[in-house]
Amino acid sequence: MIDSPLVFALLTFLPATLGFLGCVYHRTFFPICLAFLGSVSAFSIAGLINSWEAAYTLMWLGGIEFSFDQYTYQLLFGSSFSIFSSLLLFRKYLSHYFYQISLILMSALIVSFSAVDLVSIYIALELTGFCAFLLIADRNDNKSLFNSFQYLIGGGLAMLIYLIGVVTAFQYSGSFLIKDLSAVTPIALCLIVAGLLTKAGIFICGLWVPNIYSHASPQSSSILAGCVTCAGIAPIARMSNDLVPIANSMVVIGVISAVIAALYAVFERDDGRALGWSSVSQLGLAILSPTYACVYAMQHGICKTLLFSTLSPENTPHQKANHETEYTLQEKKETLSNFQNYSALIVFVVASLSVMAFPFTSGFVTKNLLKGDIPTNAKIIVSTSTLLTTTVYVRLIWSRVQKFLIYDKIINTEEIQKSTKFRWYSNQFYLCLCSIAIIVLGLSDWSYMSYQNIVNSLTATVLGIILYSSVVGLQTSKMVKPVSRTLDLVGAPFVVAALLLANLLYFKI
Amino acid sequence: MIVLMLPLVALLIIGCFGILNSKSIINSLFSLDVIDTATISIFVLIAGYSGYQTPIVSDFPRYSNYSDPYPQAIILTAIVIGFATQALLCSIALRLSRSAPLLRYKDLEK
Repeated sequence: MIDSPLVFALLTFLPATLGFLGCVYHRTFFPICLAFLGSVSAFSIAGLINSWEAAYTLMWLGGIEFSFDQYTYQLLFGSSFSIFSSLLLFRKYLSHYFYQISLILMSALIVSFSAVDLVSIYIALELTGFCAFLLIADRNDNKSLFNSFQYLIGGGLAMLIYLIGVVTAFQYSGSFLIKDLSAVTPIALCLIVAGLLTKAGIFICGLWVPNIYSHASPQSSSILAGCVTCAGIAPIARMSNDLVPIANSMVVIGVISAVIAALYAVFERDDGRALGWSSVSQLGLAILSPTYACVYAMQHGICKTLLFSTLSPENTPHQKANHETEYTLQEKKETLSNFQNYSALIVFVVASLSVMAFPFTSGFVTKNLLKGDIPTNAKIIVSTSTLLTTTVYVRLIWSRVQKFLIYDKIINTEEIQKSTKFRWYSNQFYLCLCSIAIIVLGLSDWSYMSYQNIVNSLTATVLGIILYSSVVGLQTSKMVKPVSRTLDLVGAPFVVAALLLANLLYFKI
Repeated sequence: MIVLMLPLVALLIIGCFGILNSKSIINSLFSLDVIDTATISIFVLIAGYSGYQTPIVSDFPRYSNYSDPYPQAIILTAIVIGFATQALLCSIALRLSRSAPLLRYKDLEK
């Protein structure tokens, strides 16, 4: 077991150092950064398998405390994998500062996963917010810039609410540690949790998620979906584990988020927005169980990264970074091959099945872990949410298959001159490996492969197909309108803080 | 303490009212700054509750009532972060003003 403080300090701050050095020598440092992210993934897998747990204090006595436990390793693996995959798959289209921001984001994420005091979490979440803001604004058109503005002002306000909660808590406990929060007033807890829920993107604080995912570039969306929302999940899971009233309130908020966001996703016709609403729903499910919140968020983040990476067989011109010259449609078609088209479809389908919790995928294992740890009443809601999620992903798979057929027809026409030059399909091989890994992880734990669980999952899939076929003809544009008003996005944390306070003081659910 | 806190809570409410009723980006930025100032002031007030004299370590007691240095040190970070947020928001506002010079939400949310 590794328990040297130096190793953990290096692990935390080396990504940011590499990121800043990469600003000067970006070509030299790109492969080093990929190697570093790969080694962090391997390290976190070793930590997960061997159940390593270590705590260290930065600057020794009186310094900041960090804890590298199972929560940290799970999310660390998910985040390093997401960033590694996005940088590898979109390396040809990255703007020159994209990977530097991603690495600084990685440092902020590690701090937020491992910090056990509220101030370090505040700083890490603010840094995460700045990096996410820059990633969203990378596309540099008016819509994405305005969305990034909304994200930053909403996130900034949420963090100020969080900070007021922190100082109120300090008044009562005399400490900033999460474990000392048991002595503080409900008002302080509500303000802290409202800030964290906004960063985690949970309904109704998470109204920013669909807007951002649909308007950011795919490389940014895959990083945002894969790890940025996880930054808020780790502190929530730690707080829920220590404080019973918070854990109970999280069940209420999680249930509301899981069902309402899934309903929005069912009626949403834009693929990016549907994936965003699905994220809100899945993260709502994750916070139901403090024990398995991080593993569920990790699995979901990995699948979302793969989904955003393969939403289209090839990067369309508008998805390219602004500084590059754009492809013509003909050039884009010429660069495509059958293997690329097929591999993207396979990975999209496997990742979708995993989010649907289809048997023999990693999502099936994590969903059953979650179901085993939540109150009985909440299980009905989880099943409803699973059914709605299945409906969403049946539509997304169908939409993706149609896209695949269009590209297949284009590729196989004789008009396009195919290049005879040998090409390395490294991206496609990597994607295929990822889909195999999802299936292998699903087969790793046979204890959940009971007849009952498999039948339940298959029934949900069949019902999802039936439900999709019944709502496919609905004109949903008038039923579900995108929430794009800044007032709605900014006001949500206040509403959630008020609801939480009402629950802690009066309803006591 | 509660009496001292009241003006700051009022400032916080004014900021929140402003941000929830702003019609343009600039109004939102001002309101966010007001909330930021109120938050910092609450920190300073809580730090100064135990005493108002400078906390300096020495061998003999210099003062009888020190202010708490811990929240003061923490709030420095929050001030810097608040400044960075404002700077980033201003830069985006500058960029968005090319397409919507009045920076009204109704023009930008179309």
